[in-house]
This record gives sequence, structure tokens and C-alpha cells, in this order.
Amino acid sequence: MSHLSRRDLLRASGAGLLALAAGGTLAACGSGSGGASGGDAETGTVTVWSWATAAAALRGVVPAFEKDNPGIKVDVQDIGNPAIWDKITVGLAAGGQGLGDVLHIGCDYLPGYLEKFPGGLADLSAFGADAHRDKFAKGLWPVVTGKDGHAYALPWEANPLGFFYRKDYFDKAGIDPTTFATWDDLLAVADRFKAANPGISLLGINKAANPDPDLDFVQSLMQLQGAFYFDLQGKITLGSEADVRALSTLKRLDDTGLVADAPGAQGWSTLMKAGKLAVAPMPAWAAHYLESKFADQSGNWRLAKPPAVTPGGKRAALVNSTHLAVAASSPRRRAAWKFVEYALTRPASVNSMFTAGGVFPALTTAYTDPMYAAPSAYYGGQPVLKTFADLAADGGDPTNYSGDYARALKLASDAQTKVFLKGADPAAVLQDAAKQLAQQTGRTIA
Amino acid sequence: MTALTTPAAPLAEERAPARRGPRWRRTALPYLLLAPALVTFGVFKAYPIVDSLLLSFTTGNGAAGHADGLANYRRLLDDPLFWTALRNTGEMLVVQVPLMLALALLMAVGINSALVRWRAVWRLGIFMPAVTGLVATGVMFSFLLRTEDGAVNRLLEAVGLPAVDWLGQPFWARMAVVLVLSWHYTGYNAVIYLAGLQSIPRELYEAAMVDGAGPVRRFTAITVPALRPLLLFTVVLSTIGTLQLFDEPYVLTGGGPDNATLTVSMYLYQNGFRYFDFGYASAIAYALTLLVSVLGAVQMRLMGERER
Repeated sequence: MSHLSRRDLLRASGAGLLALAAGGTLAACGSGSGGASGGDAETGTVTVWSWATAAAALRGVVPAFEKDNPGIKVDVQDIGNPAIWDKITVGLAAGGQGLGDVLHIGCDYLPGYLEKFPGGLADLSAFGADAHRDKFAKGLWPVVTGKDGHAYALPWEANPLGFFYRKDYFDKAGIDPTTFATWDDLLAVADRFKAANPGISLLGINKAANPDPDLDFVQSLMQLQGAFYFDLQGKITLGSEADVRALSTLKRLDDTGLVADAPGAQGWSTLMKAGKLAVAPMPAWAAHYLESKFADQSGNWRLAKPPAVTPGGKRAALVNSTHLAVAASSPRRRAAWKFVEYALTRPASVNSMFTAGGVFPALTTAYTDPMYAAPSAYYGGQPVLKTFADLAADGGDPTNYSGDYARALKLASDAQTKVFLKGADPAAVLQDAAKQLAQQTGRTIA
Repeated sequence: MTALTTPAAPLAEERAPARRGPRWRRTALPYLLLAPALVTFGVFKAYPIVDSLLLSFTTGNGAAGHADGLANYRRLLDDPLFWTALRNTGEMLVVQVPLMLALALLMAVGINSALVRWRAVWRLGIFMPAVTGLVATGVMFSFLLRTEDGAVNRLLEAVGLPAVDWLGQPFWARMAVVLVLSWHYTGYNAVIYLAGLQSIPRELYEAAMVDGAGPVRRFTAITVPALRPLLLFTVVLSTIGTLQLFDEPYVLTGGGPDNATLTVSMYLYQNGFRYFDFGYASAIAYALTLLVSVLGAVQMRLMGERER
């Protein structure tokens, strides 16, 4: 279930973002933000805000931590997702009132908090966080770094993109997906695949975006090229060449007739359950998710590195990540930092949390653990975690979700729907979307 | 006139000596009784109304909020999505309101007919949708309207018509919203008409029949004129309701596909609660308010005139 909740969070996180809303009104009333008058106590009870199984996993680290750090007690609270965003925002807007000491924050919220509540999160560089920067998968440090170059969180979960495929279907067509270097290689054999597998599609996408945007695939194609809706400076890149290439790739796949429509919230799972999809371009959490959700397809799925978008292009991308931050208002920031450091920079801690809560670690030094090399029966004995560990070690380009992710996601989704339903030109609709995004947010187009 | 007012004055004076306390206490009592309503209104209605007006002149949120004059309203005029929402709302309004009210009138006449038996059952059946919850409606229709195996498409196929991608195609998605909206509120309007019909004196019909008027003539010459105030009432209310349309597209289409069912209220909601742009959302709210007032006034003018 952790995967489900995380999936919901990281997928269409346009929904339920009440968080910043509350902040807007409260701050407008003049209470402002920042102004955190925390302290650097090294002892006391550290309150940790997280959600679902991630919270349970964190709890597993507490006994060892408390033993190693006498004087500090840790209280991990499962605030729930999406409720946690609401509570963090209200807390930040109130200058840290009632906020936990340690906060679990997703990559789609962190930039918004940093932008809208400067001074709300503690500067972790002051505690020596920079010493750990090279221990995490490449591409994650810029995400936790503020405009001043200081770190405001440590990466915990990282989700490298994978390419799951149905070996049985591709075998039938005499195709070996591990030989795909680019998505064009897949396009080149699309007809052969179709002839051998009538009624089977490669991908399933919610074409009408009802009820929520289904942009995971296009976003990951952008990320494979080191692109996204925004660049690291926060300028709009939604109409960029790379973004257009991403949407065009999807359009060309759709033109082969091999992209099935997956309407509604359950559309994709319905197609998957019926065995109608041959490819699942999904990140690390899916390894366990596919296994538990579609158990009867055991032995049919395999994992390959995702094909590049351009010849010779990158074959690794980190689609999303979550982090632990320390509230600037905390009176015991140093104790809080000690826990964050203990939980996230030690292979033993992150691996125990991976086992307990399915949180794929961002800490690359954790991947030497033998569990990553263990073969998985569901994937025909393939050690899938090893592939993901390698992909994470390769690292991705940093992605800036910015404080306007929800708007960008909606506009990109409208563009994708136009391509699907009206055969629109990807370049035209994306450039139009970029213009609207600029109009709505006041950001400039890069 | 004087004959009427003179007896009233001494009455008031007679009561005056019987006062039980100072004058302010007597005058305060009604306000005291009204207090719960007034306070609730102040806190939950008046304050948000005023505050959202002020908000509509600000930009940015969180620590970055600041006053920005009419910027939001200028932005509104240049916002293609706002115009899309307005056009969608207008199109649904023009199709849906006349259709629904005509249907409601026919239903009311049908139920009111002396030939109909189990009238209570029909009345209940017609009114039931009006009290159905939003979520139940959404879930039910998303099942009914499923492309592959939905009951509506099965029905269409059974009579030889092609299946329709109700929620996936812009035009049909709009029709789906019209359908659900009509399903939801036709019964409500029918019951209002029914009440009106039952208050029309039977003698009028009898006299018309003696004069040789047929059923159609009786309907147009007696029923419709007698229902005029109610017609006006329902037209104005339905128009306002459809202008503020939110529930149906929210549960059914989420405003999609490609904003085909995006309404002004949905766009307001998105800006406020998905993007936290409260200033802009407030500006949309005030634009909508203006629109509703103008359209309501025009309708009252046009239809109410002959009343005088």
C-alpha cells in the first residue's frame, strides 16, 4: 500500500495541494513566514512528521538511534498524505508554530516551501550536511539546495526510471528489448510486435486525463534528456526542443496504434490485470508494486534500462525523490539533524527502511548490500534491484519541480490530450502551453 | 387612509406605560434574538465576501503576497482558459436550461393528469435525483457512461446506434454533463411546477372546455400563463445554478478532456485550491458574480415585464 500512496502523491500531485493554500491566506493576514526563532539544542524529544509505511520504516531506526544518542528521544508521527502538506504549510506560515522538528517532504513540494517560506527550513549546511553530498545519487543534491547554495534537506527516497517489459510478448515477436538503445528502436519494430500480439498494446495512458493528468511517461522522457517544465533557475522550458521531442515520441508511439487508452482512475490497472500492456516505463517503486498487484503475471516481466530519447542520449533518470528536512523553528535543530543524518547517511539505516517500507534509497553507498543482487522470482530470476541500483548510481539530471508544478502539469496534460484527441502538433501545443504558463505564473520562458 | 391609521396610534401609546425596562433593552431584544444568525452571517458570509474582494487585488501567496491593483482583472481578460470556461458554461446553459425546464413542465403535467395512478410513486421517483449525493451521482454515472461496458452504451447498441466515448471526447463529455445536470434537477423543477399546476382553479379548464378549447389550447392559454411566475423563478434559478456549475463536471470529467467541460467555477476552484492563487481565484469569483447579477436582472426584466 505504501506504493499506492506514494504513487498517488508523486504521480498526479496536482491534487490535494491544500498546503500552500493555507499558507497563502495566513501569510496574507500579516503573520508572514520565516522569523523562526528556533534553537540548536542537542537533546530533547525530536518529533518527526512522515506518512504511511515511510513513517513505520523510520520508526524502525529509532531504537538504534536512541541507544547511540543518549539524551535524544524520537517520536515519529504518521501525519498522513496529503494531510501532511497542509500541516507543514500552516506551520511554516505561522512562523513554525506547531511544526514537527523533522519533516518528510516530496520533491514536488520542497521547492514551493523554499520559494514561499524563505527561512522556514533549517540550513543544514551549517551542521555539515555538505560532507554527504557525494553519497547520494547524482542529480539529487541540486533539488535539496536553496538559491544560496546551502542544503535544506537530505535525500531519502530516489526513484530511478526503469523499463519493465513482458518478455513473453516480445519473445513471440522475436524482439529483445534489452537491445533497444533509443525509443526509436522500439518504434522500428512496432509493426512486428503488433503482428505477433494482436490486441496487446505497449503502453496504457489515460488519454482524456480524466480524472487526473497522466504525464508520467512524457515527464520521464523529458527527464531522460535532462529537461523538465522548468530549468534550475525556475524559467519555463515547457516548449523547449527536448520537451517537444518527448511529446513527439509519445505521439509517434500512439500513431502505431500501440498506446491504449486507460480511462478513469482504474483504467491502467484494468488493462494491466487483463495482460493487455507489454511495457511499463516506471520507476523503482514499481518493482514491488507490479509483483504484489499483478501476481499472476509472475515470470513474464523483465526489467531493462530505459531507452534513450536521442541516439547516444542518457539512459538514466531520477523521476522523483523525497527528503527529510529540519524546521528552522525547532528549538532542538541539532538533535533533529543528528537523527536525519543517522537515518539517511548510514547504509544500514536506509536499507532497513527499504526492507520495511519500500523506500528505495537515494544513498548510493547502500547498494553494496547483498539484497540488491538477490534474484527475484517474479522477474524470472532477474535481480531487478541491482538494475535500479545501477541506474541510481548512474544518477540523473536534477529536476526542478518549482513552486508552480501543479499549473505546469495541468497545461502539459492539456497539451498531451490535444495530441491524443485532435492529433495536434506537439511543438505547437507545448509552445502554446509554455506561453500560458508564463502568463499564469509571471515566470519567463527560457 | 386616516381612518386606518388613527386607531393604531393610541394602541401603541397604550402599550408604552407597560414597559418593563429601559427603551434600549426592548429594542435590543430582537437583535439579541437575531444575533446567532447575524454573527454566523458575518463570520461565514460577509467576512469572506469582503475579504475575497480585497484578496482579488493581491498577487502571489505565502510570504510573497502583495497588493497589485487591478492586475488580476486585467489578467482575466487575457486568459484564454477563462474564456474557454465561459464559453463552455454558456454552451451548456443554452442547451441545458430550456431542455430541462421543458422536460420538467411535461413531467409535471403528466403527473398532474387525472388519468395517472400511483401518483406518489411517480412524484417520489422524479424528485429522488434531487436529493442524491454528489459522490453517489458521480460514481453511478461514471459506471453508466463507461465506453466499453456502460449501461448507456449497451442501450445505444441494442437499438443499433454506435457506442459513444462519453467522457473521452470533448463534445460528448459536454453532453454527458448536460445529461447528468438534467437528471439531477429536472425533478426538482417538476415538483415546483406541479405545485403551481395544482393551484390553477379547475373551473378555468372547465370553462375553456365548454368554449371548445382542445388540450393544446388549454395548455398554452391557461397552464403556461398561470405558471408564468414559477417559470420565471425556475429560469432564473436554473440559469444561476448552471452559471455556477461545478459538481457535475467535477465528479464526472474533472473539467476535461482538454478543458471541454471546464466551467468558470471549476477554473476558480483550480486556481484557488490547486494553484493557491487566491487573488486570481477571487477575481474570477467576482467576475462570475457580476455575470450572474447581470443575467439574472435581464431575465427578470424580459420575463417579468408582462406581469405588471
